[in-house]
Amino acid sequence: MALADPAPAFDYKSKTALVIDDFPSMRAAFKTALAAFGLTKVDMAATAAEAISRVKRTRYDIIISDYNLGGGRDGQQVLEEMRHLGLIGLETAFLMVTAESVYERVVAAAELAPDDYLIKPFNADIMRTRLDGILAKKETFRQIHRDFMAGHMEAALAGCDGLIKGRSKYLIDAMRFKGEVLVAMGRHDEAGELYEQVIRMRAVPWARLGLARTLQLRNRLPEAERLLVTLVGQYPELVSGYDLLADVQVAMDKSHEAQVTLKRGVTMSPRSVQRQRRLGQVSYKNQDIEEAEGAFGAVVSKGKNSIYLAPDDFANLSRVYLETERGSDALRVIQDNQSWLQESTEGKLVASVMTGLYQARKGNVAEAERHMKEALRHRQMGADGKPELLLDMAEACLKSGLDEQAAQLVSEVARNAHDSEQLLDQAKRIYAAAGKGSEIDEVIRKATEQVARLSKEGALLAQKGDLVNATGTLLQAAQQAPRNPRVLMNAAWVALRLMEEDAGQSQHLAEVRALLEEAWNIAPDHPRIGGLQTKLRLVEAKLGFRSVPLRKKGPSHGRP
Amino acid sequence: MDDHDLYAALLHETKNHLVLLTLTLDSIPHTRQDAHDAPLDAARLLGHKVAERLMQAMLLYKAEAGALRLNAVNAYSPEDMVAEMAQQARSLAKHLEVVARVDADVPPIWFFDRNLLQMALMNAIHNSISYARARIEVRAALSDGMLALSVRDDSDGYPEHILELTAQGLPLQSNGTGLGIRFARLIAQAHRNEEREGELRLYNDAGAVFEMRLP
Repeated sequence: MALADPAPAFDYKSKTALVIDDFPSMRAAFKTALAAFGLTKVDMAATAAEAISRVKRTRYDIIISDYNLGGGRDGQQVLEEMRHLGLIGLETAFLMVTAESVYERVVAAAELAPDDYLIKPFNADIMRTRLDGILAKKETFRQIHRDFMAGHMEAALAGCDGLIKGRSKYLIDAMRFKGEVLVAMGRHDEAGELYEQVIRMRAVPWARLGLARTLQLRNRLPEAERLLVTLVGQYPELVSGYDLLADVQVAMDKSHEAQVTLKRGVTMSPRSVQRQRRLGQVSYKNQDIEEAEGAFGAVVSKGKNSIYLAPDDFANLSRVYLETERGSDALRVIQDNQSWLQESTEGKLVASVMTGLYQARKGNVAEAERHMKEALRHRQMGADGKPELLLDMAEACLKSGLDEQAAQLVSEVARNAHDSEQLLDQAKRIYAAAGKGSEIDEVIRKATEQVARLSKEGALLAQKGDLVNATGTLLQAAQQAPRNPRVLMNAAWVALRLMEEDAGQSQHLAEVRALLEEAWNIAPDHPRIGGLQTKLRLVEAKLGFRSVPLRKKGPSHGRP
Repeated sequence: MDDHDLYAALLHETKNHLVLLTLTLDSIPHTRQDAHDAPLDAARLLGHKVAERLMQAMLLYKAEAGALRLNAVNAYSPEDMVAEMAQQARSLAKHLEVVARVDADVPPIWFFDRNLLQMALMNAIHNSISYARARIEVRAALSDGMLALSVRDDSDGYPEHILELTAQGLPLQSNGTGLGIRFARLIAQAHRNEEREGELRLYNDAGAVFEMRLP
């Protein structure tokens, strides 16, 4: 029998903290409580936006945020934005304060969970022990986190194993982090086994979600689907479960089921811009225009203060209105947000294309042509557009007599989407509607032929183990289809495997990094992208290069 | 705003005020003068009790057909739990000796709903603070494959009628001690693992012993 030691006393004097709460009296109370622990370097933020701008300027050891912030964003979203944007690292302690006990269920499987949380009402002692607990854990995991960030995955794994074997009170935390490391390394089988091991101890939601993710990554989709359906049935508040389930269902060509799933997720947590957008996209694909309109509308209205709002969101909503013959609404979406759209070249492109398409559909050829020429100028200036937007552009070009430009656009889309029937069919429909259906087949064939052949050849070579030639072939395919994330990731994957085996092939490293950067910017949520990033770090470390995180391209569209 | 929204907003407001009140009381330093410190400690204890009653009320309001739903069962350290509860007791009752004990065979982690378990144990601690002579012990032990978290004091022990009622599993009267015990039993029973269900045990052993047993 042992006497339990009181929690270790941390030196709070050297620490800095940020308190985020919309009530001035609550901020003051936190400040007083922290001062009693010796922590006097405390900054305050009343809103999410203020908090984000503070962490951009200052590094904090501790962040305490209320969950309920008012003004459209909650503490969980603040946490997610800070981590997504890389504004805070694993070393920053994040304590969530909430009056909603239901938050516990949300956080139980959240991908980005705070380090700990406090349920109101609470007292100063509980607050102190929670902070002590977080800091002690950070201390224990410091080296593991450092190794992970530096790409020293084997060292991070060894660190986790040490805690697992050593009867540590961080046993489960170590298993959870080890699972993430294994997934990041692409060792999905081992990660799956690890999650099953946790589930045998207790079927906690995060372990079941982790297992489902590894099943998805191993392409065992029906199993993943079954697991997730049961999970969200038992834990309806588990929003990340709906997102993963919808991804699995889309991959299984069950897009109607995916729509129902996302709809449930959105009902549970209507504020997430990304989930609403995904619902809009899936509904649009299912030709459920009404649902698509609602979801895309929610993205634009609820996303007003979100860093996740993108110019393309206005194009999505505008397109839905055009589809239902409500041209003036389509135009209004663009005009009402003109000043925001004009802040970036991508926004300018969206504004020109959607306005031009509106005029083209109305039959105002001269007006349409003027806008399309403007759009083409934005493209020359380097403005990026989603394939759907480029097809809108092609349609408006075609309707305003810019046939050659239309063909170029379709060709570009097709080269980057040789594996997407949806986009190719859409291109064919546009030409058929313009009575030029016979021209398009040749354009598409020419555009897709080479990349399809190179992809297939490269995959075969890689299967045979000829990594040198597979890399060469797939890198060519990537040059042909520089906007197709799957082609880019395939090339990067094979090239990384080659360099892992043969350090003499390091000449591909810069190109691979550029490919991954591009793929990440096009498809930031793709399930393979995380594993590839880690693989890159791993190979870079092995070849003696200093690894830096991938860069986000283009201007940030976040409103202050 | 309908009645439900109004109710939610009122509750939210109440919780915020309660946090402010508690943190304010917690920030008043002791002066070692009884005329100052005694009412301060009494006020702090009352603040804790009000907070606890509010949490219980909300939980029962949400409970379906008398059964609580656990919010978040996860792995926690029994040792941390014991240390945290002992710290609470120490800070509320400077005149008592508070001992935290963890048996050697207690595993480093156990699965439970931390927030609910804390509510149950805090209720026991508040009772013990009112009745203990000189000493409170918070302890983690392993018993029959269950984690037993207990609060033990050196008081005269529970009155017979409470022990009888609890042993028979009958509902206890809904005031004071009875309410807290009834609530703790619901929390214990909500903890299930495979075929086993948690239980609350109350007994006297040179004082009152309040024991939450978790599978």
